[in-house]
Amino acid sequence: MSKSIFELVDNLPKSNVTTMVLNALDFVVPGQWHNVTNFEQMIREVTGETDEEMIQKIGDRAVWLFNDKTQGYQNALWLYQTVDKADYALGAAALANKVGSKIGLLSFLNRLTPNNEKAQALDLAIKLVVEVVAFCQINGLPGDSIGDFVAALKEYESDALMRMAALICLDGLVPFGADFILKVESTLNNISTQELNNNTGFSSVSKLIPGNNPAGKLQFINSSFDAVKDWMIGFVSSHNLTQNEVIKNLSKFIEFSEDQLDYVAAFLDMSTNYFEHTGTQSIAKSLISRAMAEV
Amino acid sequence: MKNKKIPHLIISFCLFSLLLLSSCATQPPSRFDQAQQESVAAGNKNTAVDKNAVKGANFNQFFPSNSGNYQRVFTQEKAGFVQAKLKENGQDLATLAIFDTISNPSAKDDFKNSTDKINGFPLIEKGSNNTAVLVANRYQVSVRSANSNFSSEQRKEWLSKFDLTGLSQLK
Repeated sequence: MSKSIFELVDNLPKSNVTTMVLNALDFVVPGQWHNVTNFEQMIREVTGETDEEMIQKIGDRAVWLFNDKTQGYQNALWLYQTVDKADYALGAAALANKVGSKIGLLSFLNRLTPNNEKAQALDLAIKLVVEVVAFCQINGLPGDSIGDFVAALKEYESDALMRMAALICLDGLVPFGADFILKVESTLNNISTQELNNNTGFSSVSKLIPGNNPAGKLQFINSSFDAVKDWMIGFVSSHNLTQNEVIKNLSKFIEFSEDQLDYVAAFLDMSTNYFEHTGTQSIAKSLISRAMAEV
Repeated sequence: MKNKKIPHLIISFCLFSLLLLSSCATQPPSRFDQAQQESVAAGNKNTAVDKNAVKGANFNQFFPSNSGNYQRVFTQEKAGFVQAKLKENGQDLATLAIFDTISNPSAKDDFKNSTDKINGFPLIEKGSNNTAVLVANRYQVSVRSANSNFSSEQRKEWLSKFDLTGLSQLK
């Protein structure tokens, strides 16, 4: 049996490279995310409840709902965990070698292999699709209802909004700069199903991506990206986000030079698991929010 | 003989300390452990949602509709359950929900002590910031305040805006 939902939340790291990166991105969505790593505390925050008997009932109901495999929460967790292929040893080594308040990238260059542009663009598209599918698994909209997802993006807040902000900043702006949307689009337009199948990120999550065959799945990835790109463009412009601004904030705790951005992207990719971290928080909040009306 | 005993003592002491340390390192039991154990013991019978629960989408029509500055935004739709946010000019006021208690019948217990009614259906305060009504002895309709400015009176007012009579006829 997998872990309980309260263990998953209670075991989230209080401070590691992931939380440092997310805190550095607070300037994008100020005050939206704080790192809740205690399930009971989360119940109090989500529900505003002070009645202890009610808190017990809500937590118990959330535990049962999470363990019921037909309810989609386990699938969502698996997706969030699988799409993040973090190398924890690298993250730990980076923290251990911190000089003063900064992580020196120089000492890790030999352990990092930057992605080529195509793989990097595909990585962003696959993470986005994972978000679409996980959202539907958690909140129960039909599995291919991209329109509902886009409407719901406007309601995104706290950990979910931070996850989208991090996706745009870390997987879009840092490696590609302002025209990351165009880069992803042209990659998706030119990729063959064979190439898609050979991509390790895609093959690890493909069984939960809608579509009967690789061509169908590629079509789903394309339409997901099409549907969400306007929202992303709007997000970048309304928050005045630039590659420089993101880099300035990241350089508060990572030491690197401007010609090493490929390595920064590779370092963040390997040393963080922000999809899994904030995804676990989103699943737990959604469960609690449902459970409070079901007791 | 004497010399041999000392290492043994040291080893025993170390093992004992390790045991003590490792038991300290494990997390204290959670207040939700019992639910986890019962749920795991149920194995494949762990069905938190009854197979006869009403399809969530069927509940949507009974929610209060958008009016004036008030907005209703659906946020979750699962078997036997639909939830929406109530917003005023973009600010969250409350969470609205309809739940088919067939999946968790104990939710109905508290209504036995109800002294208040809306449209003839029993009404209670459930928890510290939540008001609920039980329709047709099956569907729990609830309004939970998003902050302390949204009063119990307002929760009752919004509960009365649901189409409770229509919901009571849902099979």
